[in-house]
Amino acid sequence: MSLRVLLVEDDREIMAMMNSSLSVEGFDVKTAVSLSEARALLQHSPPDVVVLDLGLPDGDGLELVQHIRKQHALPILIVSARHQESQKIQLLDAGADDYLTKPFSVGELLARIRVALRHRGTALAAAVTEHHVDDLHIDLSLRTVQCRGGLLHFTPTEFKLLARLVRSAGKVVTHRQLLTDVWGPEYTAHTHYLRLYMGQLRAKIEHDPAEPRHLLTETGVGYRLAAA
Amino acid sequence: MNPLAGNPPTSRTVHPWVVVTALLAAATVGGLLLDRHVSLTSQAMLYVLAVVISSYTLSLWPSVICALASVTALNFFFVPPRWTFEVESREHLISLFTMLLVALVISHLAAGLRRKSELADLSATRAHRLQMLATGLADISLAQAVVEKGQRALDDAFGGPNTLATRRDDGSLVVSSGEPENLLDGLMSCMREGAALGPGTGRWPGLNAWYIPLGTGEQVQGAVCIENVAAADTDGREHAEALCALLGQCLWRLKLTSAMKLSLAETQRQQVQSTYLAAISHDLRTPLAAVLGAASALHSQGDKLGDAEKDRLLESIIRETGYLSTVTENTLQLVHLSNAGQFVVRGWESMEEIVGAVLSRVRQRDTSRRITSKVPEGLPLIEADPVLISQLVANLLDNALKYSEGPINLVVSVTPLRLELSIKDRGTEIPLEQHAIIFQPYARSDRSGQRGAGLGLALCRAIASAHGGELTLRSRKGGGNSFTFSMPVNPLQPRLDLV
Repeated sequence: MSLRVLLVEDDREIMAMMNSSLSVEGFDVKTAVSLSEARALLQHSPPDVVVLDLGLPDGDGLELVQHIRKQHALPILIVSARHQESQKIQLLDAGADDYLTKPFSVGELLARIRVALRHRGTALAAAVTEHHVDDLHIDLSLRTVQCRGGLLHFTPTEFKLLARLVRSAGKVVTHRQLLTDVWGPEYTAHTHYLRLYMGQLRAKIEHDPAEPRHLLTETGVGYRLAAA
Repeated sequence: MNPLAGNPPTSRTVHPWVVVTALLAAATVGGLLLDRHVSLTSQAMLYVLAVVISSYTLSLWPSVICALASVTALNFFFVPPRWTFEVESREHLISLFTMLLVALVISHLAAGLRRKSELADLSATRAHRLQMLATGLADISLAQAVVEKGQRALDDAFGGPNTLATRRDDGSLVVSSGEPENLLDGLMSCMREGAALGPGTGRWPGLNAWYIPLGTGEQVQGAVCIENVAAADTDGREHAEALCALLGQCLWRLKLTSAMKLSLAETQRQQVQSTYLAAISHDLRTPLAAVLGAASALHSQGDKLGDAEKDRLLESIIRETGYLSTVTENTLQLVHLSNAGQFVVRGWESMEEIVGAVLSRVRQRDTSRRITSKVPEGLPLIEADPVLISQLVANLLDNALKYSEGPINLVVSVTPLRLELSIKDRGTEIPLEQHAIIFQPYARSDRSGQRGAGLGLALCRAIASAHGGELTLRSRKGGGNSFTFSMPVNPLQPRLDLV
């Protein structure tokens, strides 16, 4: 059975473009032009992944994300224009899985959907405890990190931060999510903690910390641990 | 004591009659003590001295009384027959009479002299006050401060109560003192007529206060009410009018300045907008035409075109739309920045991170891998909007890729107070005369015949200045251009409260 995608998008052209690209890749595509239509479709035939455009005519995407998160564990991808930055971050914080900024290529869209689906699949089966990409091997249960053959040592906070990224490998994790999960909800404004600790993590893990391959920056949004 | 200035009495409050009595007593005692050694003439001189002193220090009436009393005392104590008010000889009578006249003339002259020197003092004080006010108003930029200074000067000159009313931009009145109801009518008519009202002005002389406008004609900015005028003279009113004229001029100057600032800002805004319109019409039309041409060719002649030709057209569509998207992004961001002015939300950011993220994106377009970067370890954090700084770095790298063939170096360096990011290429040097205009929106130089970055550099410079930094261009030794963004680093770096 092919994977089902729900496209929520009010622009006819972009909808048609995404619809045909996803259909060609073998997805079973359902489309909605408004939040109410999306809600109705979710009720009748829950999809495997939702692609949600910001700025729909009948309301705030945040409601839909919260609505979906109450009932389903399915991945949600946000599609936003540049000026919807803060709204996008709000939705990611509320539980959306990833985002694309317009304009984007079909290749990017497909890659993001693949990551989101893979992640959701493994998350449902069991919590991620291992991460293995190139020369980096992280085992959360053993609390070991190997890189370029050597064993690396981390402070407890550094390891906590790395572990949080490993659990969402391939996905963007917002500043707020990282600060809340690693330091606590009262630290959500302390973004400089992230700058400093990510700098330390990169210095240990990356071959060239100035051009990281593993610990990627999503400028203004958060961080992403590169998936395989 | 001083009817001219209307000042409150000073601390020198010895009663004049006490002074008169003391002077007469001193002259009498002196005369009696010297009785055996001197003649009547010298004793008379002692009394004349007392009269001169009293005339110079006391006001008119006490000094006249002092003169009369001196003659009487001389007659009583010293003119034979002594110890009586009678006069023995005609000669003594004439002497006494002459002395009385001399004493009166002296007291009159001395009083006149004193009055003149008081007037001179007063004019000097007033001139000084005017000058101080003018100096004080010279560098003022707030109407409220003008009112406060004016109030102080008027209170200094006339005692109280003085009331200042100024007109706001919306036409409403701001009144300085607490209970202006009974004065409001006067203040309003004074502003309406643009002329002084009250005693001595020829208008409404029955009033018991002066109402003086701040400014003249169309430029009346308010009015002043001076209530302490009972004993004041013409000079005093002129002084009040001079003070008010100064205040009025200053308020008018402030009003003109703010109006000028507003209109300047509006002109700039319109200039920016028209620049953008010109920009959009030029920079968007060309790529749009290319996209439309390629797409319509594929649509109408698709079956006649070879695969290679189709690929070429498709690539052109992707490239041109990519360019359109960059131009749109830059234009919107620049409009946004020029509207928001210097107001950019800034947080603690890492330049290493920003550069890393930009490089990973730009490298996708850098197929020949010409870009090398040198970012030192342990950079301080900067206070910045990371999205804007990334846009700046990406624009500079894109430009370097577009306009040069050789290697491109991205170098970050840091001094204790500044962080610098340079992007150096080996492309055709930008002529020196274009260094200044290349940063202006759409004052593009047609480098290598390629389509310009248009707003790119203008946006980069706007981003730099929004961060309190600057973007400069210089030619490199051995050919090529170096763009350097430099911004201040806060020496108070954030710390980790916990490990």
